[in-house]
Amino acid sequence: MTFSNFMEIFVKGCPLILTGLGCAVAFRTGFFNIGAEGQFYVGAIVTTMVSLYAPGMPPLLVIILALACGFVCGGLWALIAAILKARFNLSEIIVTIMLNYMVINFLGYALRSFLMDKAANVPQSEKIDVARQIPVLVRASRFHAGILLALVCVAVVWFLMQKTTLGYELKAVGLNRRAAAVNGIPVVRTVIYSAFLSGGLAALAGGIEVLAIQKKLIEGISANCGYTAVLIALIARNKPWAVLVVSLLYAALQVQAGSWQRQSGVPSSIVNIFIGLIVILILAKDIVPYFRRKEGGSNAS
Amino acid sequence: MLHDILTVSFLTAFLSATVRLAVPIIYGGLGELVAEKTGILNIGMEGVMLSGAFFSFAGAWFSGSILVGLACGILGGMAVSMLHAFLSIRLAQDQTVSGLALNLFMLGVTSFLYKYMSMGQSYQKIPTLSEIRIPLLSRIPFIGEAFFARDVLTYVLYALLILTFVFYKKTNKGLSFAAIGENARAAASAGVPVHKYQYIAMMINGALGGIGGAFLVLTQLGVFTENMISGRGYIALAAVILGRYKPQGMFAAALLFGAANALQIRLQVVGIGISPYLLAILPYAITLIALIGAVGKRSEPEGLAKPYLKGAR
Repeated sequence: MTFSNFMEIFVKGCPLILTGLGCAVAFRTGFFNIGAEGQFYVGAIVTTMVSLYAPGMPPLLVIILALACGFVCGGLWALIAAILKARFNLSEIIVTIMLNYMVINFLGYALRSFLMDKAANVPQSEKIDVARQIPVLVRASRFHAGILLALVCVAVVWFLMQKTTLGYELKAVGLNRRAAAVNGIPVVRTVIYSAFLSGGLAALAGGIEVLAIQKKLIEGISANCGYTAVLIALIARNKPWAVLVVSLLYAALQVQAGSWQRQSGVPSSIVNIFIGLIVILILAKDIVPYFRRKEGGSNAS
Repeated sequence: MLHDILTVSFLTAFLSATVRLAVPIIYGGLGELVAEKTGILNIGMEGVMLSGAFFSFAGAWFSGSILVGLACGILGGMAVSMLHAFLSIRLAQDQTVSGLALNLFMLGVTSFLYKYMSMGQSYQKIPTLSEIRIPLLSRIPFIGEAFFARDVLTYVLYALLILTFVFYKKTNKGLSFAAIGENARAAASAGVPVHKYQYIAMMINGALGGIGGAFLVLTQLGVFTENMISGRGYIALAAVILGRYKPQGMFAAALLFGAANALQIRLQVVGIGISPYLLAILPYAITLIALIGAVGKRSEPEGLAKPYLKGAR
């Protein structure tokens, strides 16, 4: 594996780490946020708009502002599902999926109207000013500063979950909603915090992808990472460090599958099958005690 | 502009599109309803339908026969459902996690197999089911064209809807199937074979979901595309909730979603100057609004998504 290929693992892993963290935080609270895909695009759209239209300011400030706005809007977008869940007990899975399709169609509209680059014939936004892009850190690769931000997020989320009261409450609600409520944990507020954080992290991934990799907004930049993130969080059992490891392993497979595709024509979507299969196998792991029970005879039942 | 829309030809085409677009959702919704009545929540309906769509296309393509395609679609749907059934009945796993994983897994599998199958060449359309006009009934203004000038799969669906309605309303078996979802332990102590019935329900779930996916390929489009179900499986779940777990209610809810979709397509055809991308948001937005509107009238089975283990308390 070449050096630039090795760096590419981090480049491909970055959006997966952030969206995976987002899913993990939500799942931990028992909130099945399948909306990472849509929240990613909310972040991408908002970050692009701030980067393109912010008045003259120090570039670093614009980058921070753009990512922060993306984070907040992504968080608010996820709140829709959280509020509908808390207030009306609507399935957050159905709601977030509907919200995903709404954002993706809105993106199609935006790139053909108010965000469209008039000079280009394809649906894409104008290019973001070089100074306002996230800089590349390692020469001869695409390793950018956003990757460090993603790593910081892993540490922050870990700290939040393990060392703070809020993290304790998030986990308590996820483990047993009723017990948490009985013990005086404000369940609705906790779910809302977790949804906001979850949507914000996914949106951050979208913003970074725009500012560091594409340098403009186009369709399909998520490469379905919002859905892959669901599987990554499930495999990682919603633990922040495990999300980091699984994301990087997945990215490594992806980079490798890219060269397989070039060499032997095996479609790289085989990686998607692989990771889906792992989740199913994890679910099916209980089959071992099941067969053991059978061998053990009738006294087991 | 309004008089462009309120013409007989617009309304006829609109109603016709409503039914056409609702049929896959009704198939999926009916399958889901049968499963949820026995307490099994199949979030994986999207994956079931995607599997049905792909395998019906592959079957019809390689055999040249629509009937073989349909059979492959049914089997493809059932394979996914049975996997979910095994995980959630026998192994008592979290049904939400299993369903989600299966959706994403099937998205990968179908995309992979389709790419592998097509390898550079582009597929032509496969032949689609032809229209069968029912004499007299199809002459009824507006409704006749929409409901009775359709293909055989749609007519089968009408029969299945009536059958399901009668089954749950009038038969003892139907009562047993519905009792499992309410309280599996009570049903078991009344002598209902809980797990057997749950497996049967999941087989029906897979077959109907498979037909729903196959319908898109075999009667509407004639082609397979990646992720072609695009949320219809989830909309079917929403239709079941909205229809308050009754076949007739689910039918009405699915027609509503069909109408939302038909409206956006017809408006595009008429050309009212709104971006098609904005119009495409409509069906999803209406699904959401309808769900919010139906709040407080929910009537899901008591024991939905709670695994039943023999002898456990």
